[in-house]
Amino acid sequence: MRKWPLLIVWIALLAGASRSLGATASYDLREMTPEVQTALQGRQARYAELQRLKSESILGEDNRGFVKMLRESTEARGVAQTENQDREVIYRAIVDQNQLGPDGMTQVQQVFAEVQRGKAKSGDLIQLRSGEWVQK
Amino acid sequence: MKPRRFLSVFLWIVILAGCTVKAVGDPNRPITINANIVVDIRGLKKTAVGIEDMVAQGT
Repeated sequence: MRKWPLLIVWIALLAGASRSLGATASYDLREMTPEVQTALQGRQARYAELQRLKSESILGEDNRGFVKMLRESTEARGVAQTENQDREVIYRAIVDQNQLGPDGMTQVQQVFAEVQRGKAKSGDLIQLRSGEWVQK
Repeated sequence: MKPRRFLSVFLWIVILAGCTVKAVGDPNRPITINANIVVDIRGLKKTAVGIEDMVAQGT
């Protein structure tokens, strides 16, 4: 009977620990601004073309979350430029809307680069964290 | 339970569950706190995957 205060203390301890250890923060595009919407639609529209240019090893995914032109092509230059502009808008929106601070942009870029590496198809050129370019 | 013991338990709960710190001072000289923002990479990765899936599926 006298042990119940101790039990309360343990419950409080466990509640505090679960809050700090178990929770995963969620970052989202909290507000779909016209710029973000345009950027997403633009990316969706050029997705197939981008995949083709990547499969031809003209474009590759760099380690900062952007596409890089690896072989000279006028067509690819335009695609890469607009794709990277749209990605920049999305990355910036995530940083600003989630208040990720001054280092947030670098972290967002690195995470997106990792996701792009993971999603790259076999044969696509990807840049590793170390800076080395490899064929997946 | 004795009031002193109850107070002791209550204080422990407040300490362990979290507390609020209030600062008082000159409003013309606000205190600057430099906070480190820790980004949860797992959460960020989940967001990135979601966005890239949306881009890929939107074609």
